[in-house]
Amino acid sequence: MTWLKNAMQQGVWPWLCAGSVAISLLMLGALLALLLTRGLGHFWPAGLDEITLNNGEVVAGEAVREMPLPDQTGSERLYFTGNRDLDDARWRWVAIDTIARQTQPADLLRLERRAWGDFIGYLEAVEVNGERFTGDDAWQQVQQALALPTAQRTHYQLTLRTPQGQTLRQSLATVINVEAPNAMHLGQKLRAWGSEVWQFLSQGPRAANTGGGVWPAIFGTMLMVIVMSVIVTPFGVLAAIYLNEIAHQGPLTRLVRIGVRNLAGVPSIVYGVFGLGVFVYGIGGSLDEWFFDDALPSPTFGTGGLLWASLTLALLTLPVVIVATEEGLARIPEAQREGAVALGATRLEMLTRVVLPMAMPAMLTGVILAVARAAGEVAPLMLVGVAKLAPQMPLDGEFPYLHLERKFMHLGYHLFDTAFHGEDVQAAIPLVYATALLLVLIVLVLNLTAILLRHHLRRQRGSEC
Amino acid sequence: MNSNGFALRMKYGAALGLTWLLLSLPLTGWAQSQGPSASGTLGTVGSDTMAGLMLRWGEALTTQHPDINVQFQASGSASAPPALLAGTTRIGPMSRRMTDDERDAFVERYGYPPLELRVARDALIVIVHRHNPLPDISLDEVDAIFSSTQACGSESSIAHWETLAEDDTGPKGPIALHGRNITSGTYGVFRQRLLCNGEFRPEVSKHMGASAVVAAVGESYTAMGYSGYNHLTPSVRPLPLTNRQGSPVMPSDTTIQNGDYPLSRYLYIYVNLPPDASLPPAERAFLDLVMSAEGQQITRAAGFVPLPLDALEAQRAW
Amino acid sequence: MTRTRLSSQPLRHLQDRIATALITAGGIGVLLAVLGIGVFLVWEAAPLLLSEELGSLSMLTPLAWGTLKAALIALLFALPLALGAAAYSAFFMSPRLRSRIKPTLEMMEAIPGVVVGFIAGMVLAPWVERHLASTLVVLLWLPLSAGLAGLLWHLATRRWQRRLPLSWAALWLIPWLIAMFFLALWLTPLAEQALWGGDLRHYLYDAFGLDYVTRNALIVGLAMGFAVIPSVYSLAEDALNEVPRPLMEGAQALGASRWQAVTKVALAAAGPGLFSAVMIGAGRAVGETMIVLMASSNTALLSASPFEGMRTMAAAIAIELPEAAAGGITYRMLVLAALVLFLFTFFVNTLAEVVRQRLRRRYQRMGSGA
Repeated sequence: MTWLKNAMQQGVWPWLCAGSVAISLLMLGALLALLLTRGLGHFWPAGLDEITLNNGEVVAGEAVREMPLPDQTGSERLYFTGNRDLDDARWRWVAIDTIARQTQPADLLRLERRAWGDFIGYLEAVEVNGERFTGDDAWQQVQQALALPTAQRTHYQLTLRTPQGQTLRQSLATVINVEAPNAMHLGQKLRAWGSEVWQFLSQGPRAANTGGGVWPAIFGTMLMVIVMSVIVTPFGVLAAIYLNEIAHQGPLTRLVRIGVRNLAGVPSIVYGVFGLGVFVYGIGGSLDEWFFDDALPSPTFGTGGLLWASLTLALLTLPVVIVATEEGLARIPEAQREGAVALGATRLEMLTRVVLPMAMPAMLTGVILAVARAAGEVAPLMLVGVAKLAPQMPLDGEFPYLHLERKFMHLGYHLFDTAFHGEDVQAAIPLVYATALLLVLIVLVLNLTAILLRHHLRRQRGSEC
Repeated sequence: MNSNGFALRMKYGAALGLTWLLLSLPLTGWAQSQGPSASGTLGTVGSDTMAGLMLRWGEALTTQHPDINVQFQASGSASAPPALLAGTTRIGPMSRRMTDDERDAFVERYGYPPLELRVARDALIVIVHRHNPLPDISLDEVDAIFSSTQACGSESSIAHWETLAEDDTGPKGPIALHGRNITSGTYGVFRQRLLCNGEFRPEVSKHMGASAVVAAVGESYTAMGYSGYNHLTPSVRPLPLTNRQGSPVMPSDTTIQNGDYPLSRYLYIYVNLPPDASLPPAERAFLDLVMSAEGQQITRAAGFVPLPLDALEAQRAW
Repeated sequence: MTRTRLSSQPLRHLQDRIATALITAGGIGVLLAVLGIGVFLVWEAAPLLLSEELGSLSMLTPLAWGTLKAALIALLFALPLALGAAAYSAFFMSPRLRSRIKPTLEMMEAIPGVVVGFIAGMVLAPWVERHLASTLVVLLWLPLSAGLAGLLWHLATRRWQRRLPLSWAALWLIPWLIAMFFLALWLTPLAEQALWGGDLRHYLYDAFGLDYVTRNALIVGLAMGFAVIPSVYSLAEDALNEVPRPLMEGAQALGASRWQAVTKVALAAAGPGLFSAVMIGAGRAVGETMIVLMASSNTALLSASPFEGMRTMAAAIAIELPEAAAGGITYRMLVLAALVLFLFTFFVNTLAEVVRQRLRRRYQRMGSGA
């Protein structure tokens, strides 16, 4: 037992501490890995199973997940079966013990449709202007037709057959995509995956946010963040210059500085309350009464919107910009300022020609950090202006081009909304993962940029001194 | 000197304020020039039960009229009346009827009642895990399970599966209860119809959305919850409800439409429509779509039960 | 040349004055806006406090309780991890590793609350409900197994000790911990079968009357702990790293082991810094909204059980404020809740900042004294 005593003396404590670093890293890694696999995996064209149950029933679909049965006698598998217009259900739980036969037929198709969600089944025939194709010809016709724009596909009529034997006629104009994942080889799957990812990034949501992409949310987030930076940068920099260069460095300034720093710790929801009470109800309501009374009771600015959300987030991120800029200003050697003044520069010239250029990277860091914080913040937006679906962008070709009063979609809120308010969580979850991954990537990339910039800046400054 | 400097700063401050005002004026001028045009903006605030339906209607509307700008906010039916009252919206979808208080407040503010439109039929369902063998449930039992006050008159409360089920094939232990948050219309209707306006047990989890309730119940063998009919997935099983006559009724399109299922209800859209004024084009196009055959087909896609067309036509008032 | 200079002189000075005034006005304006938040909250909540509706304040009691409960559990989970990690990376980690690990851990802070809340509510909560015993065992077993690794290391030969040094332990412990994690997952159901009849939840209920709710305080605590760790870690690490090295070296020269020097000298010297790190963490935990909203059951209960849900003030504001009619009682009540949050976090942060500034001066004195 001497080794134990010895070990305790030398301490297992450092190991526990090392363990906490490892555990923290593990948690972070697990989170990112989960988001990456689920978020990107969703777009992979998954194989379709056709299973025959012991009682002769046929089910075809994509296996989604497995769960143990409540009495622990086995497990069951959830299949996405689609065809909601035919049997009123999209999902099917199948106990694994009841499966008699399982195959992956190469001609089993998955149709992405505008209404009613996906169809899973077989292609019987295609009718083009009265001409009827079956078998491989039909498949080729469909492939060709899918390259056409939607408007020209109206004369293509598909005859489809479900695995249970029901037939269904569907116009190709209402079909977005057709694929036979079981027959695809790796290259085709990769291509399909790429185009799915691209659609996710470039298209609007479909079928009550359970399908399609998140482009309006990306755009809304970006636009809000840009408007916010336009507001926050000048004010943050002004305040920092005031605190660092102009104000008398006394206890009062120190107090103010502590106050500003503390604002970074005030919960974001408090800013939301402020934004709702002051911007939306207060200023927005008055603006409506003064300028838009002909539109009342429809509100113009008296409701949450892009402008108010940007202002609220600008307030929220103000401390970030101020603190970062101040840090940059404080790093500039006093000799630089004295030299400029000694050469006859006024304070303005000293600031604009000497101090600000040197503090530029610090300011940039601050703004990037502010943008990163704003992009991930959801709670205040719930009070001041996000919408579930706003397919029309707040920026368009219609005068005055930038519609500050419009509501907008936001990635973070979109995530929250699809995960909790959607019609069908099971269908929405993969998209939620993808959205979460996108949001995390955006925020991490922004933060990394800021960190690298700051690092670069510190090294540069270090070599100068 | 110092006070002089302060006065100077004050002056500059005033100048700055004025500049800000001047800058903000063109901005308001912009938006004003937009005015009501053939396009227009359609904003709605209200029920989250109807969120999917509204989104689908919105999608159909923007396909028909690409210039209409659609904005939906859906955090619960209770958010519609204040928004209508405050004028933050003109169209408020609600999954329950307005209460008299809400209506009175509206009349007091505007001098006319809001236009009430029945747009689809829905039902509240009581759900359990898909493997739960419980055959059916009576209204009194629901009250005894979910309520802490038993305002409907049942004698004892039920907190355990053992008390509820006759045989012991099902789950054991306490019933994990799942429901909606206070602002939801589903919460209000459930409380009014099934708890006789009594209080919910404090233990009932208050989820942010109906699909979250369904997901939670589908994950947990000992759970019971309530949601709207449209959120039904195969992960959960709706319980047939015993109506006052004593026979259990399974919720289905037929039993909901003919009202046999005890918890069926209408879905409403409330419109702020002054008596002799007409609606802006965006709002009118939206309501036209909702009340059309195409609009009712969409209710089915969203999981609700459509209304007969003549019932819709009778409500047309714009 | 000279003449143009001279003639432009008044203009230059005017410009300078205008600019100074503008900057001052901007600066003061920003500071006023910042003050305005507090003033607005007080202004909107005051009618409630002054009216006879004070009885309705009891609505806030379960919210305040829920807030504290969530924050406490989060801190209970986050503080040991964050402070331990800070101590390790300040005193034991190789500098090269530290320059990579520290930014990585700080990146954790950037992960939006809505993502953490989603994972906690939709993935973690159902999983934990099915594997409650395993979760609790893992929570205890992972730190223990790190200690176990330490014991084994002392047993190992010199060659292995050199190959797996303590200064890189944060990395090579990861595979070990993963293995231990799966070991616990594999063994716990067997133990559960033997000890608690196969279902810990039933056992807890039968023996202690503990109810289990899917989205409970434990889940919120884990998720919020995850969000709090980076800020506490970062501040605590800074504080420990700034401890003047001569102090540590002196202690070790007097015969103290490295770890003794850390606990007896460094922790004492950096105590205020650690305190302020903890305060910041508490402020963050109290105000976090999305995680609580998504990972808790939002039931306004007054229960201390970690397996039951709660509702926090921040979550209540986010859910109910958009529906509350402006000026009504609920509205004012929620604004009051916001005011309480504001005052609490402001107080906590100010305390932390003051303590930190004082500490920095003390270090400077120590540094100059040495």
